[in-house]
Amino acid sequence: METIKKYLEEKGLDDSQIKDFLETHSKEIKQFIDELLEKQLPKPDEDVPYSEVIKEEVQTSEITTTEENPTQIEENQKMQATDNQQQTDMPKVFDSGVQPDKEKAKNDALAFQIKNKQITFLNGKVNQPYEIDFDFETLEMPEIAEVSFEKLEDIGLLYFPEEKKIKGTPTQAGDHKIEMKFKRNDWEEGKPLLTREVVFIINPDPRVLWSKNIPTPEDIEYYKPDSDKIFVKVESKKNMVAASQRGRSHAIEGKPRDDDFALYYDEQTEWYVMVVADGAGSAKYSRKGSQIACQKALEICKAKLLDNKDVFDKNREQENRNEIGKILQGIIGSAVFEAYKAIEQEAQEKNTPTKDYATTLLLTLCKKFDYGWFVGAWWVGDGGIGIYRQDPQYMKVLGEPDGGEFAGQTRFLTMPEIIQNELYTRIRFDVVEDFTALILMTDGITDPKFETDANLNRIEKWNELWADLDGKNEDNIKVDFTDNNEQSADQLLKWLDFWSKGNHDDRTIAILF
Amino acid sequence: MRRLPVYLLIDTSGSMKGEPIESVKVGLETMVASLRTDPFALESVYISIITFDKDIKQVLPLTELESLQIPDIQTPESGPTHLGAALELLCQKVDVEVLLSTPERKGDWMPLLFIMTDGKPSDLQIFNQMIPEIKKRHFGSIIACAAGAKADPKPLELLTNQVYSLDTTDSATFRQFFKWVSASVSVGNRSVGASDEILLPPPPPEVHTVI
Repeated sequence: METIKKYLEEKGLDDSQIKDFLETHSKEIKQFIDELLEKQLPKPDEDVPYSEVIKEEVQTSEITTTEENPTQIEENQKMQATDNQQQTDMPKVFDSGVQPDKEKAKNDALAFQIKNKQITFLNGKVNQPYEIDFDFETLEMPEIAEVSFEKLEDIGLLYFPEEKKIKGTPTQAGDHKIEMKFKRNDWEEGKPLLTREVVFIINPDPRVLWSKNIPTPEDIEYYKPDSDKIFVKVESKKNMVAASQRGRSHAIEGKPRDDDFALYYDEQTEWYVMVVADGAGSAKYSRKGSQIACQKALEICKAKLLDNKDVFDKNREQENRNEIGKILQGIIGSAVFEAYKAIEQEAQEKNTPTKDYATTLLLTLCKKFDYGWFVGAWWVGDGGIGIYRQDPQYMKVLGEPDGGEFAGQTRFLTMPEIIQNELYTRIRFDVVEDFTALILMTDGITDPKFETDANLNRIEKWNELWADLDGKNEDNIKVDFTDNNEQSADQLLKWLDFWSKGNHDDRTIAILF
Repeated sequence: MRRLPVYLLIDTSGSMKGEPIESVKVGLETMVASLRTDPFALESVYISIITFDKDIKQVLPLTELESLQIPDIQTPESGPTHLGAALELLCQKVDVEVLLSTPERKGDWMPLLFIMTDGKPSDLQIFNQMIPEIKKRHFGSIIACAAGAKADPKPLELLTNQVYSLDTTDSATFRQFFKWVSASVSVGNRSVGASDEILLPPPPPEVHTVI
């Protein structure tokens, strides 16, 4: 008080002014002093290791001392603070026989220790059993006899001290802040518990997050339905089926399907044509690119096959295979080239770069001759084309997937060098006695079902895929490949909805069986 | 399963001590919490945090989002900003941690890099040496952020054309910044492919594009 008075005198106030000032501002001055006192760290007791304590403030926002009677703490704090401030021999207040300043110091030191312990728990997942070992003795705090967690059960977990485990099934996703309570080993009724906040992170169930399905707005440019399917019935011969489903990564945002397909059976020449395309996710009009590619390639094949009807009729023998190959090479070459040109033209009309229509392309032409099935294929990009025979076992991949160093890097029909240099080098032929299925698929299927490029050449993987299509999957969805089964298109579309972690791209598959 | 590696380089030099670094921590936690609600990120994002002051530390090795917890981040009282050395460590880590495609393995998505500094590199020589090395690592996107009045965006422009500035280093600004980072990470792996540049969502008003 004398100091304040002296300071005011120095400021030039006379005695009555000083008296007035102190009276009118007594509240503020007290508050100011209180605040100062609160910031003072109480002197720790000698029997507590406090080397690290001294320079730090106790952060009351994170560490609190809870007690039945809050005013009691205030009293103690004031007492403590006063004691610190003046270093007098004031008579001490005794509480249950313990010196309160000592008590407070001990708690503060412990609180500081607790606050600085790294206490973390493994993240959990909603609706999945959670069990971790938790032994508080590993915290190495001999002064603590017991710990507990406030309202841990609210998030579906319980602490079992005897088993030293935290167990349960988390019910809610999020970063859950839980109050952890520490009981000192000399704790008795009425004394405070030390607390701190710990965090339990519970991850949501991705399946729930993925379940959002927003239909694509029909008024967007180049709208196409979110799924598509077709069954092509050919009397007393092999049939064709195809299905295409928008991926969950698009469904969740109401974005359109980028994949496309087209199937055609030519009654006159008996050629089967299958085309599948995967528009690049990053290209804004790729849904149209894939559509143009499929339709144009099919249209050209259709016309060129008819043009060559006589040649096909004449060259039915095994020794004329080369002749067929040459013609097929011409047909495939023009189909792919014209598909490219059609995309280029569309881009020019729209006054936008061709790469905005970036798409992969997988094309097969197939016909049964007396000597066996002649299959011609052309492929750019990821995904896959394969001939599969279950018995006897046979498998041939008709091309190589175009992958880069990183995921998602591939090559597209719209890249000029493909048309300029690789139009003919990408053609593949095979002649087989018979087959179970000729399959074309986009990477929405090859990624989850084959995983790696090497696996695409492993017959076991093709066996697995065929068994999977036959119902060997977690949803028991079976595609019935018996002859003339019109339902197979619906079944195939349903099958496309299979679950695979991290694989939520558009999926398209075309099968000749 | 394809992973999307995300590297965060955080300035922990002396000037970041106090409110700035606390704000960054809150920002990081918000970012991670928000990414967890995005199924794409939850299944594919892996995050690594490298801090730089006079020392360089990878405080978080590349860790999947599902099991990730933001580690404690310390700042020294004062000292230089060794961003160059941080880039050097980053290159070493990327070489080991980021998986490229092989016939027997699916490669990762192109990694993303976010750099946040409130100053300028003190080790300019190493910094300049590292620029071509960073380019060689083929990051899908590099976003650099110059935070606060003393930050110099110029050196960052040598690394990427996506340099942004924050006026202040308070919690509201960092929260907006990291919210935007999380939105950028979310779209990051969806737009790789035909175009070379990843299309990012527009930054919030607190984040200025440095032209």
